[in-house]
Amino acid sequence: MQTVPAGRVFVNGVAILLAGVLLIPGSPLQAADTKSSWAEEASRRASEPVLGLPKINHPEENQPTPGKIALGRKLFFDRRLSINRTMSCAMCHIPEQGFANWELQTAVGVEGRTVRRNAPTVLNAAFYRVLFVDGRDTSLETQYIAPLVARNEMANPSAGYVVELLRSLEDYRGAFEANFDGGPSLDRIGKALAAYQRSLIAGNSPFDRWLYQGDERALNASQKRGLGLFKGKAGCVSCHLIEETHAIFTDNAFHDIGYGWWREQQRQTPRDHQQVEVAPGVVYPVPHAVIASVSEKQQPDLGRYEVTQDPDDRWKFRTPSLRNVAVTPPYMHDGGFAQLKDVLRFYNEGGRAHDGLDPVIRPLELSDRDLRDLEAFLTALTSPDIPRLIEEARTAVPDNW
Amino acid sequence: MKQLKNKLAAGFVALFAFGTTPVIADETCQSPYMPKITGQEEFVYVWTLGEAGVGDESDKLVTVDVRPESDSYGKVIASLSVGGLNEAHHGGFSADRRYFWAGGLDTNKIFIFDIHSDAAKPKLHKVVDSFVKDSGGAVGPHTFYGLPGRMMITALSNDKDHGGRTALVEYTNEGDYVATYWMPTAENPQGAKIDSPVVDGFGYDVRALIRKNIMLTSSFTGWSNYMMDFGKMLKDEAAMKRFGQTVVQWDLHTRQPKKVMHVPGAPLEIRFPWGPNSNYAFTTTALTSKLWLIHEDDEGEWHSKPVADIGDPSKVPLPVDISIAADDQHLWINSFLDGMTRLFDISDPHAPKQVYEKKIASQVNMVSQSWDGKRVYFTSSLLANWDKKGADNEQFLKAYDWNGKELIEKFSIDFHKEGLGRAHIMRFGSSKLYSS
Ligand code: HEC
Ligand code: HEC
Repeated sequence: MQTVPAGRVFVNGVAILLAGVLLIPGSPLQAADTKSSWAEEASRRASEPVLGLPKINHPEENQPTPGKIALGRKLFFDRRLSINRTMSCAMCHIPEQGFANWELQTAVGVEGRTVRRNAPTVLNAAFYRVLFVDGRDTSLETQYIAPLVARNEMANPSAGYVVELLRSLEDYRGAFEANFDGGPSLDRIGKALAAYQRSLIAGNSPFDRWLYQGDERALNASQKRGLGLFKGKAGCVSCHLIEETHAIFTDNAFHDIGYGWWREQQRQTPRDHQQVEVAPGVVYPVPHAVIASVSEKQQPDLGRYEVTQDPDDRWKFRTPSLRNVAVTPPYMHDGGFAQLKDVLRFYNEGGRAHDGLDPVIRPLELSDRDLRDLEAFLTALTSPDIPRLIEEARTAVPDNW
Repeated sequence: MKQLKNKLAAGFVALFAFGTTPVIADETCQSPYMPKITGQEEFVYVWTLGEAGVGDESDKLVTVDVRPESDSYGKVIASLSVGGLNEAHHGGFSADRRYFWAGGLDTNKIFIFDIHSDAAKPKLHKVVDSFVKDSGGAVGPHTFYGLPGRMMITALSNDKDHGGRTALVEYTNEGDYVATYWMPTAENPQGAKIDSPVVDGFGYDVRALIRKNIMLTSSFTGWSNYMMDFGKMLKDEAAMKRFGQTVVQWDLHTRQPKKVMHVPGAPLEIRFPWGPNSNYAFTTTALTSKLWLIHEDDEGEWHSKPVADIGDPSKVPLPVDISIAADDQHLWINSFLDGMTRLFDISDPHAPKQVYEKKIASQVNMVSQSWDGKRVYFTSSLLANWDKKGADNEQFLKAYDWNGKELIEKFSIDFHKEGLGRAHIMRFGSSKLYSS
């Protein structure tokens, strides 16, 4: 096996070095999987506090072990776990793209079916008390069933079908038994996937070194000013929390910041023309009628309301963590903003005023320099550990038939 | 590594063994290694996508009788369902023209049909369902280009991110995997000369010019884009940035990339002319609606340049399939969104001129012409989720005569009424190829 760097990738003007693993067929070392060693490191990472992050609350009955993590990784990358063998979890949560997907605003599942929402990163998902942007699940042990059987994601005919499949696959023989008290079951698949995802911890950012370690040089002057604005004038910290000993940048609560409501207005009254970039720098206005002729009907998204049916919850979405936000574009629940600049402009304009808008959201009157500083601060939340997580993720090639 | 090299060496032996006695040609757009039908084609095979609510909903190979004297002229005489929706797309004959290989861009299955035992009734000979695993991660088998004893397959995507980075994959005629040649990328140009600001590593079509030992590949987009709802994609700025902008020149024998040329706007089909001194090829860019010339200069260096607009590019007509006439004087160009076909005079390849146009239907994708250019066939489907919706989703095979001035309709088959599905690539068949 030979390791080559896959090169620098630029997002939001920041260069991050992503390590890639290139397998050269036939080379003798390919079989020598470093499974045990990487999974041990991953297990340690999941068990001990990482700079800037709280200790993970592992469920009593699912404490991390290297074996569970390795099995969870394999499941996460197994394309055979969808009805027609095309989708794995990792086809939407792509390691090299911040465990999210930079190439799509909203996800695409089996047979190209439309998913309304953007595929968010699974990095640090361990710290959410409510999962999904509408909070419809609360545990990584059960969350996976949704994509597995959703017709527009992995489209399995049933969850039991997947259990049977795993029982029949040669390369899983003994894998569950070795790590749990029995063979494949819904419960154990969930535990393995959860154990792997709780090892995808990415803290230790320049912000963490500055705030929690006192490393004065970790942040530059602009980033420090940005942090000041984030906690002060811009009021971001009231939802994207920073605490005394750690920061997860989310309150795990639901808010109407005007974004979802605004997007619904756009869906109902589309523009006459859509600007379409047909090649870099070549943009043509395509009439709405032409777009409509090749479009299915776009579905609305009411956010938290879809779970609670409470009118007060219309267009409320869960506050996302902002850790590693610079490497997980595009932004918002439907990926409607390509750049952090766009998000900041939205907040500066006071979101979109309407009944129900969270009172904290108001025009901020930030200067261009303020906006630059805020953006600089957001880029200081990127973990230097991501290349290592990518490397671990790619210890083996995705499973295909 | 060693293993791979041995396989490669075996490939070269096979190539040269056949290559010494080249049987030039086919009806205008196919591998020059293959026997051609110079007279009347007898059958048109249509690789057809299954469609929800239409017939058995399965992908199928449809055979249409086009023998003018036949009682069943212009009728479907066979339909062979393969099961499932695989995103049926392109296909091509093996160089001996005994088998028709057809791919599924979604499920990565390759269906190999026996068309020589009974040319009127193809049989499913073999299914290769290990393409992704064999190739080490290439997704979306697209063009099937017959080389002696071998099938060269372009892929469109990969199993790491379903983006556009991809490879050429080579199989034997028996359906055994030989080798994978990843497209050159910015990080790993593999020794290719870079003459493009972008080196995307994307793929689409492949065509060869044997006497120049040259192979050209074009570049489309990855699985996420070609599988998703077309309208959704046009509105997705992130997705629109993921289209091919390159044509790559390869060494046909060594399969090494030689040069990456800049052709922005998603260059699709590549066609070499047939003339013994014609050292150029055409391609069209789907998004920017331009006809491009890939041509050799006096020093033997290959270049790309746009030579004509197709319709009004600002209206995004979306040029798709093209068909070059055997005398190298004309090129048919279909455009999907306006349902038009246009004929270009390419006698001066550096300055093609449109000489004719006709609206075929609400949408049109593929075009194939007979060797003598007198018969031209059209089908409708582009991709399952890109086809028009509702009443505009016309699905058909239409046959025309071309008299040098206009297209005259001979017959039309409604693929919805017949319970077939979405009509995609056409290939011609003839029992006469197999009678000794
Ligand atoms: C078709 C693309 C797709 C596939 C396949 C997919 N996901 Fe997701 N994932 C998404 C999208 C889109 C969301 C956000 C949906 C929402 O919030 O309603 C999401 C959300 C999540 C979340 C919640 C993150 C958060 O911020 O709350 C987790 C965890 C997750 N996915 C894990 C998985 C696992 C494990 C699998 C495989 C069993 C998987 N995903 C398969 C697209 C996908
Ligand atoms: C009232 C609570 C609240 C406040 C205050 C707030 N946010 Fe948010 N933030 C949210 C919610 C909720 C979302 C998700 C909205 C959606 O997806 O529709 C979000 C999304 C974001 C995102 C996109 C993240 C992603 O991955 O898609 C960024 C960046 C962001 N906020 C930054 C900020 C900044 C900077 C401020 C201060 C100017 C701020 N937020 C103030 C609640 C808040």
